[in-house]
Amino acid sequence: MDVTLGLLTNAVISGLLLGGFYAAVSIGVAISFGMLDIVNIAHPAFILLGSYVAFIGNTVFGIDPILAAVITLPAFYLLGMAAYQVYYVAFERRDDQSLRGLSFFFGILFIAEVTLTLIFGVDYRSVQAWYVVGNLNLYVVELPWRLLVPFLLGMVMVAGLQVFLSRTFIGRAIQAVAQDQQALRLMAANPARIKRIAFGLSFATAALAGAALIIIQPVEPSIGREYIGRIFAICVLGGLGSFPGMVIAAVTLGIVESLTSTFFGPSWAPAVAFGVLLVTLAVRPSGILGR
Amino acid sequence: MPTSAPNSSRQEPLLEVAGLSAGYGKIVVLRDVALTIGAGEAVALLGPNGAGKTTLLRAISGLLPRTGRVQFAGRTMAGAGPGDTVKAGLVHVVEGHRVFTQLSVFDNLLLAGFGLPRSKLTRQVEEALSFFPEIAAKRNDRAVTLSGGQQQMLAVAQGLVRRPKLLMLDEPSAGLSPVLVDRVLAAMARLREAGTAILLVEQLIEKALASADRVYALARGSIVLEARTDEADLPNRLEHAYFGQDVSAPLAS
Repeated sequence: MDVTLGLLTNAVISGLLLGGFYAAVSIGVAISFGMLDIVNIAHPAFILLGSYVAFIGNTVFGIDPILAAVITLPAFYLLGMAAYQVYYVAFERRDDQSLRGLSFFFGILFIAEVTLTLIFGVDYRSVQAWYVVGNLNLYVVELPWRLLVPFLLGMVMVAGLQVFLSRTFIGRAIQAVAQDQQALRLMAANPARIKRIAFGLSFATAALAGAALIIIQPVEPSIGREYIGRIFAICVLGGLGSFPGMVIAAVTLGIVESLTSTFFGPSWAPAVAFGVLLVTLAVRPSGILGR
Repeated sequence: MPTSAPNSSRQEPLLEVAGLSAGYGKIVVLRDVALTIGAGEAVALLGPNGAGKTTLLRAISGLLPRTGRVQFAGRTMAGAGPGDTVKAGLVHVVEGHRVFTQLSVFDNLLLAGFGLPRSKLTRQVEEALSFFPEIAAKRNDRAVTLSGGQQQMLAVAQGLVRRPKLLMLDEPSAGLSPVLVDRVLAAMARLREAGTAILLVEQLIEKALASADRVYALARGSIVLEARTDEADLPNRLEHAYFGQDVSAPLAS
């Protein structure tokens, strides 16, 4: 009984920390899909790009992986703006979003994955930092730094973006464009320009999420695919357009996956996770905190 | 049958629309519409449902493509989108008191002045709020907590942030109780006194006629009546214009 309680506590705590990491990887899609209605299914590929950037920074230049990600934030932001511009000109302007836009991002996902495979190969890569091993000892629990640092990174990202959205002018404009684009046009604002900035931000989060990913586990190009389903499940479960909802969903998923992994085996985890999503949507179609 | 009225304005009209046609894809809604609005004038645009009043406002403000001539404050607005139109001083407040519900009243107004320098913007937002003391008191509340009438006032206040020369209001009374309608129209009257020209699309005929100097009636995509609101026999003539024939039950006059 004691062992089970210990396992349970461990699983819940790991799940909680994992949830923070899931929030970090999902926040980009919470912006692009939740607010801009753009199904950026390629987001995991850019998270992996972020991981490899952190890897290069760490192995070639010897800098901390998170620092490497922060340095490349502007580059990711510009890349996101360029990607949106292409998407806008090719699809959104012609009101062609839904299916063709999705296949556009699918294409980018595959091209990115294959490019990464060609450059880095399929070997697993990981980074060296003081927090990749070792635990933080807090009286009765031991928190692995490997999970704790990505958790903290995720929380900082979500909090930072929430503050940005609610306190800055451009942040409010992004909230407005999510709600009523026509009204914005009548206010001499250019919705496309605002969406471009938001999409750039979404890509920038991928850089940091990538650093978090390579801290938590060794990466190789195809693991992006494991995250597509998780990320969209988290965003839908949390309610599109709500960051707090997304965090709750991420943590819930983390805990459910962790518990399932511990007591039933790792292969059950995704099934149970999606089961939670389906049940929640049946009871509350707009998601936990959806508007 | 169009009835023309003598144009009291001696100088160049503020808004001049001629030969305007617009529609949605293959559906032509407006045919060869012409109207003028002088500086500081209040003009009502009446008509039955489906006549094309909202389409006309959208065509003028640039939300819909159009053919024909639109001249505003001496400038040709050919190919101007909604952004250019707003910057020229022509503001369109759409129907349905649509405001950004998740943002505060003040943030809604700040957004309405997108692109203006910060100091100018804050000053003009305060000016806009001064027309609507009721929502000025709620400036930090989220727009979703406002009543329908207050949201409508907020929508009009958003239009005012740019200090427009001409404000086009699309059915500001829609969905509001009579008390709230009177409040919104009273705010409109204060705007008139301040010198803003107004083009008011309305379904409430008596209230629209009471608030306006001139009236146009639009039916089936064309202007069928133009008159001053103090002319005699206006209700009858409107009825005629709406239905194209005499109807046994007269409109209240």
